Amino acid sequence: MRTYELMFVVDPRLPDEEVVSLADSYREMLSGQGGKVTGEESWGKRKLAYPIEKLTEGTYHLFYVSAEKENPFPEVERRMQQNEKVLRYLTVRTDEGRLRYRERPEESPAPAPATGEEESR
Amino acid sequence: MRRPPGKKKFFFRRRKVCRMCAEKMNTVDYKDVRFLQQYIVERAKILPRRISGTCAKHQRIIQQAIKRARHLALLPYTSD
Repeated sequence: MRTYELMFVVDPRLPDEEVVSLADSYREMLSGQGGKVTGEESWGKRKLAYPIEKLTEGTYHLFYVSAEKENPFPEVERRMQQNEKVLRYLTVRTDEGRLRYRERPEESPAPAPATGEEESR
Repeated sequence: MRRPPGKKKFFFRRRKVCRMCAEKMNTVDYKDVRFLQQYIVERAKILPRRISGTCAKHQRIIQQAIKRARHLALLPYTSD
């Protein structure tokens, strides 16, 4: 069995209920193609690190998917590609110990970055 | 550059240790922006190994995660 994560960013001007229905349709598509959505995260609006199509924010949504044999993604990815409201998407395989979610409490101070300051102006 | 004879200069350089090795991490999540931010400089470049002291294996993992995060606009490609 393989596990995946599918994250996508949609236009923040899209009303919430439309984002939900979009997510619903993608979820359905994934299940229809032999995938199983095991978890889901809705990050809501988040500032983009750089503007995409002159937008400075994006609505982030994340699926955790598991699949047996067949790859459930081509159909969904094609639809995302065609949908202008979807700014970005990314599918990543998370089995094989490749991606263990790193729990990091919000207030734990991050260790100071190694001296990188002289690298930049 | 040649030192003047009789004078020896000592550089005390702290041996850098790969932080991921020290913490026994095998993977990095591209969504863990706070972690990845330690590995980019202010111009949003990926911090080179010679600066961060990261081992080759973990540098590759970090590099991959940063590039994924950049694609999703979680991290910048550049910044001025």
